[in-house]
Amino acid sequence: MRHGTYRFVIGFLLAPIVLYATFVFYPITQLVYVSMTNWTGLSPKFRFVGLDNFAKIWTDGLFWKAVQHHLFLLILLPLITIALALFFAFLLNMGGGTRGGVMTGVWGSKFYRVVFFLPQVLAVVIVGVIFSRVYGPDQTGVLNRLLIDVFGMDKPIGFMIDYGMWAILGALVWQAVGFYVVLFSAGMSSIPADLYEAAVLDGASRVVIFFRVTIPLLWETVQVAWVYLGILAFDAFALVMLLSIEQGGPDGATAVLPVLIYKQGIRESEYGYASALGVSLFLLTITFAVLALRTGRREAVEH
Amino acid sequence: MSDSDLTRRSVLRRTAAVGLLATPAAGLLTACVGAKDDGPTDQAEGQVTAENPLGVKEDAPVEVVIFNGGLGTKYATDAHIPSYKKKFPKADVKFSQTEEISTILTPRFSSNTPPDMVNNAGSKLMDQGRLVSAGQVAELTDLFDAPSLDVPGKKVKDTLIPGTIEAGTYNGKPYVLNYAYTVFGLWYSGKLFAEKKWTPPTTWSEFTSLLDAMRAAGITAPYAYAGANAAYYQYLVILTTAAKIGGPDVLKNIDNLEAGAWKVDAVRTAARLWGEIGAKYTDKSHLGLKHTEVQLQQNQYKVGFYPSGSWLENEQAKDTPPDFKYQLAPLPSATSADKLKPTALYAAPGEMYFVAAKGKNVRGGKEYLRHMLSKEGARKFTELTKVLTVVQGSTEGLTLSPGTESANKALTAAGTEIFNFRWDAWYKKMDDECRTATNELMFQGGTADKFCDRMQAIADAVKADSSIEKFNR
Amino acid sequence: MNSTQTKREIRLLSGFGHLSLALWTIMILFPLVFAVLASFKSNTEIFIENPFGFPSNWDFASFGRAWTRASIGTYFINSVIVVVASTFGTMLLGSMAAYVLARYRFVGNRVVYYFFVAGLAFPVYVVLTPLYLVVDTLGLLNSHIGLTLVYIAYSLPFTVFFLAAFFKTLPNAVAEAALIDGASHTKLFFRVMLPMAKPGLVSITIFNIIGQWNQYVLPLALLPAEKDKWLLTQGIAAISTSAGYEADWAALFAALTIAIIPMIIMYAFFQRQIQSGLTAGAVK
Repeated sequence: MRHGTYRFVIGFLLAPIVLYATFVFYPITQLVYVSMTNWTGLSPKFRFVGLDNFAKIWTDGLFWKAVQHHLFLLILLPLITIALALFFAFLLNMGGGTRGGVMTGVWGSKFYRVVFFLPQVLAVVIVGVIFSRVYGPDQTGVLNRLLIDVFGMDKPIGFMIDYGMWAILGALVWQAVGFYVVLFSAGMSSIPADLYEAAVLDGASRVVIFFRVTIPLLWETVQVAWVYLGILAFDAFALVMLLSIEQGGPDGATAVLPVLIYKQGIRESEYGYASALGVSLFLLTITFAVLALRTGRREAVEH
Repeated sequence: MSDSDLTRRSVLRRTAAVGLLATPAAGLLTACVGAKDDGPTDQAEGQVTAENPLGVKEDAPVEVVIFNGGLGTKYATDAHIPSYKKKFPKADVKFSQTEEISTILTPRFSSNTPPDMVNNAGSKLMDQGRLVSAGQVAELTDLFDAPSLDVPGKKVKDTLIPGTIEAGTYNGKPYVLNYAYTVFGLWYSGKLFAEKKWTPPTTWSEFTSLLDAMRAAGITAPYAYAGANAAYYQYLVILTTAAKIGGPDVLKNIDNLEAGAWKVDAVRTAARLWGEIGAKYTDKSHLGLKHTEVQLQQNQYKVGFYPSGSWLENEQAKDTPPDFKYQLAPLPSATSADKLKPTALYAAPGEMYFVAAKGKNVRGGKEYLRHMLSKEGARKFTELTKVLTVVQGSTEGLTLSPGTESANKALTAAGTEIFNFRWDAWYKKMDDECRTATNELMFQGGTADKFCDRMQAIADAVKADSSIEKFNR
Repeated sequence: MNSTQTKREIRLLSGFGHLSLALWTIMILFPLVFAVLASFKSNTEIFIENPFGFPSNWDFASFGRAWTRASIGTYFINSVIVVVASTFGTMLLGSMAAYVLARYRFVGNRVVYYFFVAGLAFPVYVVLTPLYLVVDTLGLLNSHIGLTLVYIAYSLPFTVFFLAAFFKTLPNAVAEAALIDGASHTKLFFRVMLPMAKPGLVSITIFNIIGQWNQYVLPLALLPAEKDKWLLTQGIAAISTSAGYEADWAALFAALTIAIIPMIIMYAFFQRQIQSGLTAGAVK
């Protein structure tokens, strides 16, 4: 490589690397270090304790509860969101008749697309505030009122009391679906029209086309969606903080790792322990990402 | 996606390795955690005179951070800051307010660049005990020994309600000023009670029959508290009952983490009685509501009794019907063999204010507190917030609202039988656990035994944890 | 399958389809309608009465309170400034790094690449205190510039990861031709490669705008002191917390409405661009 090329490469990489190293990587190394101390976060004094914090995590019941909740979200959030989004995207792009050999969406699909995307442009703080009323535990709650008035339910449901994680899941799905509808719609519209024409000429039904042609060709996009949603499943911080009883309750029923980190670090001033939780969360997320991408790769090679 | 892209998929697998590689480097970077060294910082110092007993440097800026909650911040901007500036016209008082004290101030303490005076309060307050043991809080002995700003011939400590200094004392030394004087009890509507000819109960059976009468009168929740964020109000009530049964030492033993302190009969009986109230007289949906939401229901006469501190009336001012007439009732006695009278009260100096030991202007921070503790500063505080202060006689000349007046009366009736506890501020872990255990007891079919076992277990765990500094009283 | 069958299937599909689409539309709109209605209501109307009841009087005072007392207008503008600057910075630096990493062989290429991508799995809120100290040391606390730089840094992993993949797919021939014509590498990047990568850039830009617009923890930690520099999410969270004490829920919902409406209009306006950006970018 010519000398000039090296200068160019360095020139292009310098600013991003400096920025990233300063604000992301350096704090991460600090975090790893702090996770092996008993730092309280309230003074500059601390002692090195090795892996004690991690040993404590191993026996911390709340940690394992939180891990279970992340697994719950990790399975259901992508599954439900992707299923709904694929279904809606299908209707919006191929649910209508065939015009000039090209399949069209159902009537009004432009309107639906705008509406479905709306929750995505709301900051999660806003979603949290609104859903605290949606899940109101008595007849003044939006959802309870709807169920009582329209569906004749006799007693209000305590969403955050008895079904905390399901309610959190609901809010996450509510916000996410629209984005993936748009993402999948985009994917569908880029599928070459002649593939569909051939299928239609063969007499395949819409449903068959969807499963035999659309989904396989969208598989890459679905995988990307899976990874995003999976990473989202390890978060849920703001929603749990704003919606749950006693931030992660009742009695740990909605505990998630970011909230534990927050509570340990800030409320209980156990910054060392909170950092160890942070490192654990990091390892869990990265394990998921690696697994997801590896599985995805095998699938992709097969077809 | 092309093949070359697929290889990219292995990226994340190897990233983990990179993360591990970076670890040794962290050792070199340790200095950052305590970025600035621990030595004494330069502090502004002025001449000590009779006029300036704390030796404040007259032109040194002083930074105060006030929690923006139920009390608002007007008392600081409209009363205390002008008072300070009047005395030191050359000084700049830097004021900021926040709803999230710990989020915003924790990094400043860990980097040794704290503000001078902090109002540590709210649901996101910092762990005061740990702050003290970390050496971040200035001792206030000289403040309390200084002459009062506007009560001639008296020292600051002689102008305060007894128990004030003790409430901010950690292992024998005063560190924190608890400024607001709060009375706790059961709140009800004076109008509703007059209408129905109900009287506040003094025995437990009167209490339960009144709750029955309320239910019969169509009140959906004769007794209520908000489980979503205010279980604290309820465990305070449970322990108040325990103190009435077994005397204030029950609470002292809990504070001091004595073995078995949570398993004594007084606590168990109190938990049992309140567990029964929870099972019979509450609305289950209140577990999912926040305090303001339940308080609104009381304003609409859907709730009979509501446990809270004397800030309640001010907090609800905007939504209370004009003729509602908040009244406070002390808790009824639990058994006929109670050690304390039915008039006994939980009351405590609360709302913490402290001076940062490593601030740039420690003297200025203390001087600011001296202005808060002046008679005029306290009077204006009560006027603006409807909350009593620890400064004696500061309500002279003020017309009190019905709620504040009833709290004042209850205080007089209680005489010397006033008590409180401090473990909740000393050990945040226990506070968290007690909220959970209380919700379980009151709403989710928990039992007194379970409640006591849970709390004893966490108390023992805190006691055994050498990393947590212990306090005594 | 003959054509009448197909027609029947389509009719069935569109009947069932319309039903489910309408249902989801209602589920999306109900909470939003509730929020807008709530901004006109009193606390009692919000928490005691029918959530779908109409307010007793259509009083815009709550919007005034949200605008003035809670300075939602200022925060909105601040948010726009920070997000525009940081998205621009992210896309510029991110595409530069991604381009070099995707198309040039040099020693350490892979190391640098993984170094960036490791950040993908990293939650921000666990490093707040160390991050605060770094920003403070650099004297960038309470400044929009500091926050912008931090936003850029935290958006780089995602941006580099996806743009690098995208640059890989661009054909070599054009690049080679340009180099033979004597264009410098820098010129080649800005004049040839960037325009070719436009679809990918658009979609990643949209991801970044949404992500940064919704960021809450970072501004809270890094813009603590000066209230007039706050961003929209901070403003809303602040009213939401203080609503617990002063209980001005109408103002809170008014603030939400103020925050929501411009985003809706903006989205409706750019809808087509977003969709086509995603078509070209994310599918690759």
